[in-house]
Amino acid sequence: MNEEKVTCKDVMSHICESLSEEINSPKCVAIKDHIENCEGCRSYFDSVEMTIELYKKCTETLPDDLHKKLMDYLELTDEQ
Amino acid sequence: MNEELLIASAKNGDRKALSELVKKYEQTIYSFAFKVCRDREKAENMMQETFYSMIKSLHQFDGNSKLSTWLYRIVVNHCLMEARKNSRYTFVEQETDESLFDEKYIADWSTLPIKNLETNELRTILDSAIDKLQPEYRVVFTLRDVEEYSTEETAKMLELSVPAVKSRLHRARSFLRNEITKAFQN
Repeated sequence: MNEEKVTCKDVMSHICESLSEEINSPKCVAIKDHIENCEGCRSYFDSVEMTIELYKKCTETLPDDLHKKLMDYLELTDEQ
Repeated sequence: MNEELLIASAKNGDRKALSELVKKYEQTIYSFAFKVCRDREKAENMMQETFYSMIKSLHQFDGNSKLSTWLYRIVVNHCLMEARKNSRYTFVEQETDESLFDEKYIADWSTLPIKNLETNELRTILDSAIDKLQPEYRVVFTLRDVEEYSTEETAKMLELSVPAVKSRLHRARSFLRNEITKAFQN
Protein backbone atom coordinates (compact mmCIF):
# COMPACT_ATOMS: atom_id res chain seq x y z
CA MET A 1 0.00 0.00 0.00
CA ASN A 2 1.20 3.48 -0.82
CA GLU A 3 2.23 5.29 2.35
CA GLU A 4 0.56 8.50 1.17
CA LYS A 5 -2.82 6.77 1.31
CA VAL A 6 -2.58 6.05 5.05
CA THR A 7 -4.66 8.51 7.03
CA CYS A 8 -4.83 9.10 10.80
CA LYS A 9 -8.12 7.21 10.78
CA ASP A 10 -6.44 4.19 9.12
CA VAL A 11 -3.75 4.31 11.75
CA MET A 12 -6.24 4.49 14.61
CA SER A 13 -8.20 1.55 13.33
CA HIS A 14 -5.14 -0.64 12.84
CA ILE A 15 -2.79 0.54 15.53
CA CYS A 16 -4.05 -1.83 18.18
CA GLU A 17 -3.29 -4.84 16.07
CA SER A 18 0.31 -3.79 15.60
CA LEU A 19 1.04 -3.43 19.31
CA SER A 20 3.13 -6.34 20.61
CA GLU A 21 2.89 -8.19 17.34
CA GLU A 22 5.24 -8.74 14.45
CA ILE A 23 3.42 -7.46 11.44
CA ASN A 24 5.35 -6.75 8.32
CA SER A 25 2.54 -6.35 5.84
CA PRO A 26 2.90 -3.37 3.48
CA LYS A 27 0.03 -1.63 5.24
CA CYS A 28 1.62 -2.05 8.67
CA VAL A 29 4.99 -0.88 7.43
CA ALA A 30 3.26 2.19 5.98
CA ILE A 31 1.43 2.69 9.28
CA LYS A 32 4.66 2.46 11.28
CA ASP A 33 6.22 5.05 8.96
CA HIS A 34 3.16 7.25 9.38
CA ILE A 35 3.37 7.04 13.17
CA GLU A 36 7.00 8.13 13.08
CA ASN A 37 5.98 11.29 11.29
CA CYS A 38 2.58 12.09 12.80
CA GLU A 39 2.47 13.57 16.27
CA GLY A 40 -1.25 12.86 16.77
CA CYS A 41 -0.93 9.18 15.86
CA ARG A 42 2.22 8.81 17.93
CA SER A 43 0.28 10.15 20.93
CA TYR A 44 -2.57 7.77 20.21
CA PHE A 45 -0.20 4.80 19.94
CA ASP A 46 1.50 5.77 23.22
CA SER A 47 -1.83 6.13 25.01
CA VAL A 48 -3.09 2.71 23.91
CA GLU A 49 0.21 1.25 25.07
CA MET A 50 -0.15 3.06 28.41
CA THR A 51 -3.73 1.78 28.78
CA ILE A 52 -2.38 -1.77 28.59
CA GLU A 53 0.40 -1.00 31.07
CA LEU A 54 -2.04 0.51 33.57
CA TYR A 55 -4.26 -2.57 33.48
CA LYS A 56 -1.30 -4.90 33.88
CA LYS A 57 -0.60 -3.26 37.24
CA CYS A 58 -4.18 -3.82 38.49
CA THR A 59 -3.74 -7.14 40.22
CA GLU A 60 -5.94 -8.45 42.99
CA THR A 61 -4.22 -10.41 45.74
CA LEU A 62 -5.90 -13.51 47.13
CA PRO A 63 -6.88 -12.72 50.75
CA ASP A 64 -5.35 -15.17 53.28
CA ASP A 65 -8.70 -16.44 54.52
CA LEU A 66 -9.81 -17.36 50.99
CA HIS A 67 -7.02 -19.90 50.65
CA LYS A 68 -8.33 -21.73 53.69
CA LYS A 69 -11.94 -21.45 52.50
CA LEU A 70 -10.91 -22.86 49.12
CA MET A 71 -9.07 -25.79 50.67
CA ASP A 72 -12.07 -26.52 52.91
CA TYR A 73 -14.44 -26.33 49.95
CA LEU A 74 -12.28 -28.80 48.02
CA GLU A 75 -11.78 -30.98 51.10
CA LEU A 76 -8.02 -30.60 50.81
CA THR A 77 -5.49 -29.78 53.51
CA ASP A 78 -2.19 -27.94 53.72
CA GLU A 79 -0.66 -30.67 55.82
CA GLN A 80 2.43 -32.44 54.55
CA MET B 1 8.21 -32.30 42.61
CA ASN B 2 7.84 -30.91 39.10
CA GLU B 3 4.44 -30.16 37.64
CA GLU B 4 4.28 -33.21 35.40
CA LEU B 5 4.85 -35.50 38.38
CA LEU B 6 2.37 -33.57 40.50
CA ILE B 7 -0.28 -34.00 37.82
CA ALA B 8 0.46 -37.72 37.47
CA SER B 9 0.27 -38.18 41.26
CA ALA B 10 -2.92 -36.12 41.48
CA LYS B 11 -4.49 -38.25 38.75
CA ASN B 12 -3.68 -41.29 40.88
CA GLY B 13 -5.62 -39.82 43.78
CA ASP B 14 -2.76 -38.20 45.70
CA ARG B 15 -4.54 -35.44 47.70
CA LYS B 16 -1.27 -33.80 48.64
CA ALA B 17 -0.38 -33.41 44.96
CA LEU B 18 -3.82 -31.90 44.32
CA SER B 19 -3.27 -29.45 47.17
CA GLU B 20 0.06 -28.45 45.67
CA LEU B 21 -1.53 -27.80 42.27
CA VAL B 22 -4.29 -25.72 43.85
CA LYS B 23 -1.76 -23.70 45.84
CA LYS B 24 0.35 -23.16 42.75
CA TYR B 25 -2.49 -21.66 40.71
CA GLU B 26 -4.98 -20.19 43.22
CA GLN B 27 -3.56 -16.66 43.03
CA THR B 28 -3.45 -16.69 39.22
CA ILE B 29 -7.01 -17.96 38.90
CA TYR B 30 -8.41 -15.65 41.58
CA SER B 31 -6.72 -12.62 40.07
CA PHE B 32 -7.97 -13.50 36.58
CA ALA B 33 -11.52 -14.17 37.83
CA PHE B 34 -11.52 -10.82 39.61
CA LYS B 35 -10.37 -9.02 36.47
CA VAL B 36 -13.26 -10.52 34.54
CA CYS B 37 -16.00 -10.55 37.23
CA ARG B 38 -15.06 -7.25 38.94
CA ASP B 39 -16.42 -8.55 42.24
CA ARG B 40 -14.59 -10.28 45.09
CA GLU B 41 -17.39 -12.66 46.00
CA LYS B 42 -17.93 -13.71 42.39
CA ALA B 43 -14.18 -14.11 41.88
CA GLU B 44 -14.08 -16.36 44.95
CA ASN B 45 -16.94 -18.47 43.59
CA MET B 46 -15.33 -18.71 40.15
CA MET B 47 -12.06 -19.80 41.72
CA GLN B 48 -13.82 -22.49 43.76
CA GLU B 49 -15.74 -23.75 40.72
CA THR B 50 -12.58 -23.78 38.61
CA PHE B 51 -10.63 -25.94 41.04
CA TYR B 52 -13.64 -28.13 41.66
CA SER B 53 -13.82 -28.70 37.89
CA MET B 54 -10.07 -29.31 37.80
CA ILE B 55 -10.30 -32.05 40.42
CA LYS B 56 -13.32 -33.61 38.73
CA SER B 57 -11.84 -33.56 35.22
CA LEU B 58 -8.10 -33.86 35.77
CA HIS B 59 -8.16 -37.40 34.37
CA GLN B 60 -9.19 -35.83 31.04
CA PHE B 61 -6.22 -33.45 30.97
CA ASP B 62 -3.98 -34.89 28.26
CA GLY B 63 -0.91 -32.72 28.77
CA ASN B 64 -1.03 -31.36 25.22
CA SER B 65 -1.32 -27.87 26.65
CA LYS B 66 0.07 -26.37 29.83
CA LEU B 67 -2.03 -26.95 32.95
CA SER B 68 -2.29 -23.17 33.33
CA THR B 69 -3.80 -22.87 29.84
CA TRP B 70 -6.30 -25.61 30.66
CA LEU B 71 -7.23 -23.85 33.91
CA TYR B 72 -7.66 -20.53 32.14
CA ARG B 73 -10.05 -22.23 29.73
CA ILE B 74 -12.10 -23.51 32.68
CA VAL B 75 -12.17 -20.21 34.57
CA VAL B 76 -13.07 -18.29 31.39
CA ASN B 77 -16.06 -20.58 30.84
CA HIS B 78 -17.24 -20.19 34.42
CA CYS B 79 -16.82 -16.40 34.30
CA LEU B 80 -18.65 -16.02 31.00
CA MET B 81 -21.51 -18.21 32.19
CA GLU B 82 -21.78 -16.05 35.30
CA ALA B 83 -21.60 -12.82 33.28
CA ARG B 84 -24.38 -13.92 30.94
CA LYS B 85 -26.76 -14.01 33.89
CA ASN B 86 -26.93 -10.22 33.69
CA SER B 87 -26.52 -7.72 30.91
CA ARG B 88 -25.73 -4.39 32.42
CA TYR B 89 -22.87 -3.65 30.06
CA THR B 90 -22.86 -0.55 27.92
CA PHE B 91 -20.17 -1.47 25.43
CA VAL B 92 -21.83 -3.63 22.87
CA GLU B 93 -20.92 -4.75 19.42
CA GLN B 94 -23.11 -2.14 17.78
CA GLU B 95 -20.64 0.56 18.75
CA THR B 96 -19.42 1.58 15.33
CA ASP B 97 -15.86 2.04 14.20
CA GLU B 98 -16.84 5.65 13.50
CA SER B 99 -17.53 6.30 17.20
CA LEU B 100 -14.74 4.08 18.49
CA PHE B 101 -12.04 5.60 16.32
CA ASP B 102 -13.28 9.16 16.20
CA GLU B 103 -10.38 11.57 15.69
CA LYS B 104 -11.59 13.62 18.66
CA TYR B 105 -9.93 10.93 20.74
CA ILE B 106 -6.48 11.82 19.46
CA ALA B 107 -5.73 13.45 22.78
CA ASP B 108 -2.11 13.70 23.80
CA TRP B 109 -1.86 11.74 27.03
CA SER B 110 1.44 13.37 27.89
CA THR B 111 -0.66 16.42 28.84
CA LEU B 112 -3.02 14.37 31.06
CA PRO B 113 -2.20 14.39 34.79
CA ILE B 114 -2.02 10.59 35.02
CA LYS B 115 1.25 10.57 36.94
CA ASN B 116 -0.10 13.02 39.52
CA LEU B 117 -3.06 10.83 40.36
CA GLU B 118 -3.22 8.92 43.59
CA THR B 119 -3.21 5.17 42.93
CA ASN B 120 -6.76 4.91 44.27
CA GLU B 121 -8.07 7.60 41.93
CA LEU B 122 -6.47 5.95 38.95
CA ARG B 123 -7.82 2.60 40.04
CA THR B 124 -11.33 4.08 40.21
CA ILE B 125 -11.01 5.38 36.65
CA LEU B 126 -9.69 2.06 35.36
CA ASP B 127 -12.38 0.10 37.22
CA SER B 128 -15.11 2.30 35.86
CA ALA B 129 -13.83 1.88 32.29
CA ILE B 130 -13.45 -1.90 32.42
CA ASP B 131 -16.81 -2.27 34.20
CA LYS B 132 -18.48 -0.96 31.05
CA LEU B 133 -16.73 -3.43 28.80
CA GLN B 134 -18.65 -6.54 27.81
CA PRO B 135 -17.17 -9.67 29.48
CA GLU B 136 -16.45 -11.32 26.11
CA TYR B 137 -14.18 -8.37 25.29
CA ARG B 138 -12.78 -8.14 28.82
CA VAL B 139 -11.69 -11.77 28.64
CA VAL B 140 -9.84 -11.22 25.37
CA PHE B 141 -8.16 -8.06 26.64
CA THR B 142 -7.12 -9.74 29.90
CA LEU B 143 -5.77 -12.92 28.33
CA ARG B 144 -3.97 -11.14 25.52
CA ASP B 145 -2.69 -7.92 27.10
CA VAL B 146 -2.58 -8.56 30.84
CA GLU B 147 -1.70 -12.27 30.95
CA GLU B 148 0.27 -11.92 27.70
CA TYR B 149 -0.99 -14.99 25.89
CA SER B 150 -0.47 -14.88 22.13
CA THR B 151 -3.37 -14.19 19.80
CA GLU B 152 -3.32 -17.84 18.70
CA GLU B 153 -3.33 -19.18 22.29
CA THR B 154 -6.14 -16.80 23.23
CA ALA B 155 -8.14 -17.92 20.20
CA LYS B 156 -7.71 -21.58 21.20
CA MET B 157 -8.71 -20.94 24.81
CA LEU B 158 -11.84 -19.08 23.79
CA GLU B 159 -12.63 -21.25 20.77
CA LEU B 160 -12.64 -18.16 18.58
CA SER B 161 -10.97 -17.49 15.23
CA VAL B 162 -7.74 -15.47 15.23
CA PRO B 163 -9.43 -12.57 13.34
CA ALA B 164 -12.24 -12.56 15.95
CA VAL B 165 -9.69 -12.27 18.77
CA LYS B 166 -7.87 -9.47 16.97
CA SER B 167 -11.09 -7.61 16.33
CA ARG B 168 -12.26 -7.88 19.95
CA LEU B 169 -8.84 -6.94 21.29
CA HIS B 170 -8.56 -3.96 19.01
CA ARG B 171 -12.02 -2.67 20.00
CA ALA B 172 -11.47 -3.37 23.71
CA ARG B 173 -8.17 -1.49 23.78
CA SER B 174 -9.64 1.49 21.98
CA PHE B 175 -12.75 1.52 24.14
CA LEU B 176 -10.74 1.45 27.38
CA ARG B 177 -8.36 4.06 26.11
CA ASN B 178 -11.25 6.33 25.10
CA GLU B 179 -13.01 5.86 28.46
CA ILE B 180 -9.85 6.86 30.32
CA THR B 181 -9.47 9.90 28.08
CA LYS B 182 -13.10 10.88 28.75
CA ALA B 183 -12.59 10.52 32.52
CA PHE B 184 -9.73 13.01 32.36
CA GLN B 185 -11.56 15.40 30.07
CA ASN B 186 -14.60 15.60 32.39
